[in-house]
Amino acid sequence: MLRSCVCLQRAGGGGGKRRSSSVEDASSCRSSEIERVGASMQTTTLGSNGQPQTLAPQPNTRASSLLQLFHRKGWCKHFRKPLRGMSATRVEKSIRAAIFIQKWFRRHQARQEMRKRCNWQIFQNVEYACEQDQAELYKFFNDLIKHMPQAVEAGNKCNSQRCSGLEKSGTLYEESGDLARIELEVPIQKSHIDLMIDVFRKKRGNRLHPKYVCLILREAAKSLKQMPNLWMVSTAVSQQVTICGDLHGKLDDLLVVLYKNGLPSASNPYVFNGDFVDRGKRGLEVFLLLLSLYLAFPNAVFLNRGNHEDSVMNARYGFIREVEGKYPRNHKYLLSLIDEVYRWLPLGSILNNRVLIVHGGFSDSTNLDLIKSIDRGKYVSILRPPLMDGEALDKAEWQQIFDVMWSDPQASQGCKPNQLRGAGVWFGPDTTESFLKRHRLSYVIRSHECKPNGHEFMHDNKVITIFSASNYYAIGSNKGAYMRLNNQLVPHFVQYISAASQTKELSFKQRMGIVECAALKELAVRMREHRDELEEEFQKYDPDDSGCITIAKWCFVMESVTKLGLPWRLLREKLAPGTDSQSVNYIRTLDLLDTDVIMKAEADGTSVMDALYANKASLETIFNIIDADHSGEITLDEFEKAIDLLVTHMPGVYSKDEMLEKCRMMDLNGDGKVDLNEFLEAFRLSDLHRKEQQEEYLRKRSTTKSIISQHPSDSVTKLADTISKNTVIIERDIDPTDCEAKDVEQKS
Amino acid sequence: MEIGIQLVNELEVRISEAFCIFDHHGDKFIDTRNIGNVLRFLGCVPSENEINEIIAATESPENPGETHLPKFMAHVSTLLMNRKMEPATPEKLLSAFEILDPENKRFLTKEYFGKLMEEEAEKFSKAELENMWPVAIDPITGNIPYLFYINQLRHKTTIYDVADAIREELAANEKEKKKERSPMPQMLGL
Repeated sequence: MLRSCVCLQRAGGGGGKRRSSSVEDASSCRSSEIERVGASMQTTTLGSNGQPQTLAPQPNTRASSLLQLFHRKGWCKHFRKPLRGMSATRVEKSIRAAIFIQKWFRRHQARQEMRKRCNWQIFQNVEYACEQDQAELYKFFNDLIKHMPQAVEAGNKCNSQRCSGLEKSGTLYEESGDLARIELEVPIQKSHIDLMIDVFRKKRGNRLHPKYVCLILREAAKSLKQMPNLWMVSTAVSQQVTICGDLHGKLDDLLVVLYKNGLPSASNPYVFNGDFVDRGKRGLEVFLLLLSLYLAFPNAVFLNRGNHEDSVMNARYGFIREVEGKYPRNHKYLLSLIDEVYRWLPLGSILNNRVLIVHGGFSDSTNLDLIKSIDRGKYVSILRPPLMDGEALDKAEWQQIFDVMWSDPQASQGCKPNQLRGAGVWFGPDTTESFLKRHRLSYVIRSHECKPNGHEFMHDNKVITIFSASNYYAIGSNKGAYMRLNNQLVPHFVQYISAASQTKELSFKQRMGIVECAALKELAVRMREHRDELEEEFQKYDPDDSGCITIAKWCFVMESVTKLGLPWRLLREKLAPGTDSQSVNYIRTLDLLDTDVIMKAEADGTSVMDALYANKASLETIFNIIDADHSGEITLDEFEKAIDLLVTHMPGVYSKDEMLEKCRMMDLNGDGKVDLNEFLEAFRLSDLHRKEQQEEYLRKRSTTKSIISQHPSDSVTKLADTISKNTVIIERDIDPTDCEAKDVEQKS
Repeated sequence: MEIGIQLVNELEVRISEAFCIFDHHGDKFIDTRNIGNVLRFLGCVPSENEINEIIAATESPENPGETHLPKFMAHVSTLLMNRKMEPATPEKLLSAFEILDPENKRFLTKEYFGKLMEEEAEKFSKAELENMWPVAIDPITGNIPYLFYINQLRHKTTIYDVADAIREELAANEKEKKKERSPMPQMLGL
């Protein structure tokens, strides 16, 4: 019966058939830049015996599949019906209809992906813009050192307090409020770990007594100091190893990993690849738990330093605030101990002499032998010049550490400075290849970048990114992942989101809405830093004071002021709500920035200026660099030179004249010199003045708003409400079983 | 690293905006695998074949796997002005479904539709199929009431109007130029 089917003949004849898209074709909806798996990978898979084998190309001709379809649907029966017309044409038409439907659906999908990507880009670009500010500090120091050449010769005065942070014991003060009633002692053991996890899981009463925090930090620093710059990790005993990426204070994710993968032991070693703190609210608990795991299972836990294991970053990204909030009476001492741990954290790991595991990546000048020989204890912060004991500063060495901590892989060839972050490099596949060859390595595992699926392959599978903080930007933004390597170092990934029940009840649309609101909030807070400049620029293009300008002009102003590189046209409807399709009501944009929800978010965060001024160590370093002869004093001229440089790097932060005036005020004996305390005082007064000015300005603005913006429009209020509702975070006890974990199908 | 590229008209601005969403380094290059996304974002409905053609035409010879904005803009502007990849009317989409539903049940079964999408024409990957079900399936019956599905897929596209306007503008400019180039009216002495 079927052999006489006309359609079969037609199908066999071919012709007019469209080339079907390959399954791996990523030109249709993929949200992340998933590197195309090499051609060999496509046809290689693990056979049932666990050995790689090549798949035979499947005989998936149109004929055979249509044949199956006919079998099942009994279409041929239909075609016998005279009403149905020529069967061949029908098949043709059906195929054409299918293509039609397919391309329509792909457009729909792409638009959904665009929304996701747009939100992602907002989060990422705002984050990197903030990092750029931090990197400015690094550049400023480099410049300062360049302009004070005597500083390089004479070396930086070693801050004696820093060098012996471990020896000095501080006094601990009583903290108010609930403290967990557990006791810890050295040596830390598994029983202590269990206790700690039980305590940390709770949403209340989860603080250790400060003396135990000190205990853990001091013991860890003492132990880490003995370790080499690069851990040597081996699977000889365990036959496997697990690697985790960025955690960023997400204790729930760490507990999910420990729950799903077990506590560390000789047969279950772990490498944690940096960025344990900042951004998430439980950074201290994550840090303490990781250090305790290290102390309890010393040959099974390997901690790599990340770019956020750095007090300068912590000042900006929330960890310092977190410690201040949890231990208000002891935070200064605890933070100094944390600094001690940071400086002694090794810079990376080498696994089985074949795989390098570092936080960021590498550059074309990265030299592992050099890195192995560095005295890493000098780098209390990576963003400040290292402490030197009468030695000259080695900028090349400093650069090596930077590259390893801050770099990102790129798809295109070459190795160039990382403009997005402002530090480190972008390294291309050619850089990877020569690096691996030079050091006789097989591949590199790194973290540092958030990925929608918690992991990503690049550079022909030679660079693997692993990121373990799920819902990093917002609930629903991304999965976290950890990887296990077997004895042959073949990777296997497990993806998860923590507190899964919070998102399970939500529809796709609702989840999208939450991410979108969180993104808008971040963006609006960042925009607030430029609020006045925005208003000025908008008004330039609105001579009639109508409150509206063209879309093109609005996009132009947004980009030229914020320099965030975002798709402003896409965001127009959100940032100027209720606006029509021809023009933009920029008053609405400004009003949005002035809503309570945004202003409160701004107050919760830390601005660049707060971070810098608060960082006494940085200011001290500046002073010590200028004071090259270690006299304890600097001249006003030298001070002026330093301020000049500061203003170049961070315009808008300092007013040069003001600083000089303050400094002159300090020079009470009029001999044209200033010592460290007077120097710090000048900054403190300048900061005070700046804060007062800001408050005065805010007061003025709230009372003299222009008539148009006296009452924000309904659409702005509505949007602010939506943002407020969708970005509320409810603290709960952590339940690591409440996760959506899934093994990822892996090719080779 | 803002590499400024001159955008001479509204069409180029639109194309550039869509393009730059995927430009992560700010160097006006994007991965060719995102070209489909860029086009769809603009509102076009290209087939996989058409996308591959555009990739081949605009891929950078110096940087394989990447496309540079100016080349992309020039190529796609022309396509848009010629109304390529334009979404057809929803009625046409409905006819396509009706071809697949000869008994006029006004729905398709998941089994049939899934098989068709996955195995025929420009096949869906497993991921695409999974993404489609929440959009297409009626959770109560488990079938695809395609009228409903069509309404999910509709979206207003304005890019072709923009392209039209630019095309007319360019045509008008051409006319002007021609006038200038033609010789001065000869003062023929009669």
